[in-house]
Amino acid sequence: MNKSWLIKLLILLGVIALNVMPTLYANNDKPLIKIEQFWIMLPPAVAHNTAGYGVIKNEGNQADTLKSIKSDYASIMLHKTAIESGMARMIHQPNVTIEAHSELVLEPMSFHLMLMNLDKKIFSSETEITLRFEFEKSGVIEIKVPVRQPQY
Amino acid sequence: MLKLVLFSMLLLINAANVANAEESTLPILSGIGGEFSAIDADGKAIESTDFTGNVVVLAFGYTNCADICPFTLGYLKRLYAGLRAEEQQQTRIVFVTIDPEYDTPGHLKGFIGHFNKDFVGLSGTQEQIDYIVSLYQAEYKPLSVLEIPTQNIRRVNPKLFADEQEAKEDKASLFSHTVTLYLLDKEGYTRSLEYTGTPVNEFIEKIRGLINE
Repeated sequence: MNKSWLIKLLILLGVIALNVMPTLYANNDKPLIKIEQFWIMLPPAVAHNTAGYGVIKNEGNQADTLKSIKSDYASIMLHKTAIESGMARMIHQPNVTIEAHSELVLEPMSFHLMLMNLDKKIFSSETEITLRFEFEKSGVIEIKVPVRQPQY
Repeated sequence: MLKLVLFSMLLLINAANVANAEESTLPILSGIGGEFSAIDADGKAIESTDFTGNVVVLAFGYTNCADICPFTLGYLKRLYAGLRAEEQQQTRIVFVTIDPEYDTPGHLKGFIGHFNKDFVGLSGTQEQIDYIVSLYQAEYKPLSVLEIPTQNIRRVNPKLFADEQEAKEDKASLFSHTVTLYLLDKEGYTRSLEYTGTPVNEFIEKIRGLINE
């Protein structure tokens, strides 16, 4: 094996190492939760409830379970709207597991945050509130979420 | 001269075809719907026959509904906005509450008005509402597991005596309910059952067809 072949082999090994390293790093058997695109519907002034939507991604290699969602300005549950034979019902989802490399999409007529007993002073106009998502393994993740008019 | 007569005849035939194309071919869905009385969002007694001469889109829901009903009303808002002004004048969007105990006319007016002030909110006695629900073969039932005594779930401020007095009025329940959108013709007959999944343009064409009947 001449010198140039040796250099090529080393470069090849280097490239392989660079590609494999992040994978090895990611294979640390931990969930990696990302909370994205969340927003809360600005409710009518007389309403006591409203809903929130967004995406919870788990980019890690282990599942995680959403235990609770909290705010200082409303009581919050994760609900799912199910439509059967033209009838819609809401099902409380107390512990939702988000598998590794999957996501939970919250959208109208499906999974959604049900915000109840709203603090009317806060929900009277477009604003931003803090939500605390508590996961079994990832702990508490705090995000700021806009309260706004729906686009639909 | 003969050419002129033939041309005029062709024009008439074409015009008749266009008129026929615009008219609705939706069948009457017998057994769904009928005459009823209720209380409107201004607290006035109303009869379903008051809508005669207008095409009606009727939906059931309640104001403590956080996901389905606001989404449905948002859809109806888009639907209504897609109609021309003269078509809006001949169309009534009617939202019937299935929770009349909580949804008083004033409360309903505030909720519906958030979406469109032209929308009609209907409440009434429990018997009146149950009758309307039965006429449309709709359903609703309280979600017993999810009954929310809204007071005291979240308490930011210290509890006051006044809260106890308000608690009775502020007790809200959650319901499952029918999400069908009933399309009624100008005579009050049910002509089509739609959902929020119906493309808005398709729904508008159906309303247009009934207006042109």
